[in-house]
Amino acid sequence: MTKILQAEKSESQDIQKILHPLVKEWFFSKFKAFSQTQEYGVLNIWQRKDILISAPTGGTKTLTAFLSILNYLVIQAQEQTLENRVYAVYTSPLKALSNDIHKNLVEPLQEINELAKKKNIKLQEIRVALRTGDTTASEKAKMTKKVPHILITTPESLAIILTSKKFVESLKATEFLIVDEIHALDNKRGTYLSLTIERLNELSNLWPTKIGLSATIEPLEEAAKFLVGIDDKREIRIAKVPLDKKIDIDVLTPVDDLIEDENIYPSFYGLLESLIQAHKTTLIFTNTRSATERIVNTLKEKFPTEYGDDNISAHHSSLSKEHRFNVEENLRQGKLKVVVCSTSLELGIDIGYIDLVLMVGSPKSSARALQRMGRAGHKLHEVAKGRFIATDRDELVECCIIQKEMIEQKINKITFPKNCLDVLSQQIYGMAIYKIWDIDELFSTIRKSYCYSTLTKKDFLDIISYLSGEYDLEKNNVYDKIWYDKETRQIGKKGKMARVIYLTNLGTIPDESFVNVKLASTGEVIGHLDETFLERMKKRDVFVLGGKKYLYNYTKGMNVYVNSAEKLSPTIPSWISETLPLSFSSAMEIGEFRYSMNRQLTANKSKKEVIKFVMETLYVKETTAETIYNYFYEQHKFIGIPTKDTLLVERYKSDKKYLVFHSMYGRRVNDALSRALGFLVGEVEGRDVEIGINDNGFYIAGEKLNIEKAFNQLTKENIESILKEAIEKTDVLARRFRHCATRSLMILRNYKGQTRTVGKQQLKSHFLMHAVRKITEDFPILREAKREVLEDLMDIENAKKVLDWIKEGRVKMKIQETQLPSPFGSNLILQGQSDLIRIEDRQEFLKRIHQEHLKAIKEAMD
Amino acid sequence: MEDYILIDKTVFFPENGILAIGDLHVGYEHMLKQSGMNVPHTQTKDIINNFKGIFLKLKEKNYKIKKIVFLGDIKHFFGYEKKEKLALKEVYDFLRQSFSEQDIIFIKGNHDKFGYFGKKLKNYYVRNGIIFLHGNLKYEKVYEKPIKTVVMAHLHPSIILSDKKGVKKEKFKCFLIGNYEKKRFIVLPSFLEITDGIAVNDYREDYSKYSSIIPKEALMKFNVFVIGKDEIYEFGKLEKI
Repeated sequence: MTKILQAEKSESQDIQKILHPLVKEWFFSKFKAFSQTQEYGVLNIWQRKDILISAPTGGTKTLTAFLSILNYLVIQAQEQTLENRVYAVYTSPLKALSNDIHKNLVEPLQEINELAKKKNIKLQEIRVALRTGDTTASEKAKMTKKVPHILITTPESLAIILTSKKFVESLKATEFLIVDEIHALDNKRGTYLSLTIERLNELSNLWPTKIGLSATIEPLEEAAKFLVGIDDKREIRIAKVPLDKKIDIDVLTPVDDLIEDENIYPSFYGLLESLIQAHKTTLIFTNTRSATERIVNTLKEKFPTEYGDDNISAHHSSLSKEHRFNVEENLRQGKLKVVVCSTSLELGIDIGYIDLVLMVGSPKSSARALQRMGRAGHKLHEVAKGRFIATDRDELVECCIIQKEMIEQKINKITFPKNCLDVLSQQIYGMAIYKIWDIDELFSTIRKSYCYSTLTKKDFLDIISYLSGEYDLEKNNVYDKIWYDKETRQIGKKGKMARVIYLTNLGTIPDESFVNVKLASTGEVIGHLDETFLERMKKRDVFVLGGKKYLYNYTKGMNVYVNSAEKLSPTIPSWISETLPLSFSSAMEIGEFRYSMNRQLTANKSKKEVIKFVMETLYVKETTAETIYNYFYEQHKFIGIPTKDTLLVERYKSDKKYLVFHSMYGRRVNDALSRALGFLVGEVEGRDVEIGINDNGFYIAGEKLNIEKAFNQLTKENIESILKEAIEKTDVLARRFRHCATRSLMILRNYKGQTRTVGKQQLKSHFLMHAVRKITEDFPILREAKREVLEDLMDIENAKKVLDWIKEGRVKMKIQETQLPSPFGSNLILQGQSDLIRIEDRQEFLKRIHQEHLKAIKEAMD
Repeated sequence: MEDYILIDKTVFFPENGILAIGDLHVGYEHMLKQSGMNVPHTQTKDIINNFKGIFLKLKEKNYKIKKIVFLGDIKHFFGYEKKEKLALKEVYDFLRQSFSEQDIIFIKGNHDKFGYFGKKLKNYYVRNGIIFLHGNLKYEKVYEKPIKTVVMAHLHPSIILSDKKGVKKEKFKCFLIGNYEKKRFIVLPSFLEITDGIAVNDYREDYSKYSSIIPKEALMKFNVFVIGKDEIYEFGKLEKI
């Protein structure tokens, strides 16, 4: 197992001792002293110790990582011993960030060079180059001749370099590898990078010293192992630089009474306006693209003299690269008064002076909230000022809890997806292009990666079978990607096009595409919809977009024409959604708070006492505490407060029977629990069951609901197999399968110079899923798609934990009949995103609809 | 009693012993593979098994098939493709076990350019007042008086059915049968198993793009027959669904 140590802090004079006079002089001409981050990092890196540095944003992480390396290169440059090879690789998941670092690295270098010139010291040229997806072929050719000493790149471009014929030679003596923004790699890009790092280790003649940089995250030990991989010989130091930046945070509401006051929206914009005007530059986070657009437009409309194109901008991932780049540049130059973004400005790049960060709605986790706050007062010692704005009562409680976690420095945990078979397929293909491997050597290299250290031999061999075309037993004319010779136990690439196919299809971020939604009457653009969402729509369906309801009319090209339909109720479940899930730990914290509130209220404490308790527990002002008190008091009087030890289930009847579960575990856990339960309930009747989920709970609706029986059937041992069956016919599995099939190169996004549209990819995946099921239900890529749904989209691990608590009696289920949904339950019924558990067979469905149809015809005739 | 039988995705005329088959699109899989898809090939086998099932069902009812008419779009590629030709040959060889060369009739669709196996493609085929054609182009022959029935493919009709609340939806292949310009029209679904086809209750504004000989308004008055696993279900007029 990899050894983990705490990094030692070093004294300033010890760091100074190692610095070349030029570097030292340059440094102290810029800074008064070493920062804490540098005291932890610089000397360790100099001594070639692998290190993970976790520090709040606004720290001096990047320079810390580069200082020793620059120093090392300057020493060599003066001795005229710099070779034509890469000494250090810097990789970051953000393209824009790479540009930024380029600037921040080239500048110090220029300044050091100028200093050298003044002193008549002759330095060899130290070269820095940027290599991303945008780098031109001629630039690349230049790099092959004049190799950069420091290479700035993205994880994807690094993987490409490792399969290049020539350039890879220059990387065989890489001495340093910097991985920035590790906290943003808790997804398949991270999984991908963990294998890429192992590939670099494998081909290097020496061990590249690993330098990891991350914002405040937990657990640091896992992030450290992610960086160096798993091996007995490896060890890594962790430097956790404390947050000494002061934060000024509060939770605001547009009106005091979030239920009765009808002016909530006008007041909301009034509040935004007054906050923006009281500050120099404001950054607003809204969580979704549609909310971003809405806020920008409304501010412009309501305050035309204050906001125009010159001082307000939107920033989100659907906007063009140029647009985003301009916004960032204008921010840096201080031209903008306010920028509204979804989540897109959370990470990385220096965006200049921002004195207020507003978070509209809950940021859903404390780590994310801290990250956002870090964008204000980017310099280390400035006070970061942030405000949450909550517009409903659940949001208010959530924001207050997250604020509490921030103040008490409780950070939610991140996890990296493990043993992903689609990413593995792509990487093995890349590895086979690089050289011919012995199968055992290949397996052991892969197992050293943190994300694949528990990969089973079976999974590995299944992927080898898939790539070498063994799954198609009847015909051999299927496109194989590698060959595997069982005699010699060797593996290599197949086909002349291999490298081209790999280069043009590499990556883990799935293609998504959007269609415009326009009003049929005026042609006005209302917003965008995911293309896959459109596939499910037919005439007269009603759906919600940007908080408004629309009736689907027709599609023409990439435009969807709709009519406003405020009076109709939505018929299309909007399951495909960009909503962020609440972290499990924040959800548990809310459960904890509900528990203490329940004790306060059942102990018959006075209103004054309870409000005081809320103020102290959540660090909030009196009006906020009173709103929260009222909310909990209503629930207490109505049906009682669900707490961390009682799972309250409301049973009530309207058009059908509803069961409302107050399972305060976050959407990802609720998703898993509700689908498993819905499936068990539905199976008894052979009918489909409607479910709805949000972060605070879920509901199941249907005709007969025998929930006690279903709950007794569900255990932590069988939930996985039940869920796998329950998601079998869902759109979400089909969609994830498309992503996995694309990542594993079953579907090529780009082939022979043609790019496939998402719609075509989806059509193919539909066909493909049908085809692989014919071969085996156990096809590895289908297995991966299911794993992704269960582990990455849902949170099956914590769902198992919850089932265990119920079994042990730590959590007791309490079913209560109600006439109406309780205050805590009403948001769920109103806003919960619903889906259908498909149980009923296609043919059965056809027969039933036919019967209904005949009846309708008969009635019409009578 | 009708003079035709809907059987699986095909229509059979007992009096003449003619079995008509909709768009076959052999080579669809090759198209997928050509665009870089790593897929196993089962289409040809599926088509043959599908035929075997239909032949068996007709035999059980004591009907004898004398002629088999393909209503165009027999292959998928617009151009020439070797693999596709091999797949078509496999299907053809299978049919030749039961039918003579002149009893297998190929009608020209918009995807078909050349003849197959030395046979010329026909624009249409007429027998006892029934005209068989693809359906993308009009021919004067259709409007001749003795023609009572028009059998066509081309539109790939299927229908989205949903329950009352509209939450659950499924797509099924279907036949469309109705009258237009005093003739009876029978529109066949595509024979190709892997795609459901174009949902007729969702014909978009650009219907004319499919350049069909039946206008949309007329089609809306046609009756819908949905293909179930073992049965065909009548659903009444299209515009009412």
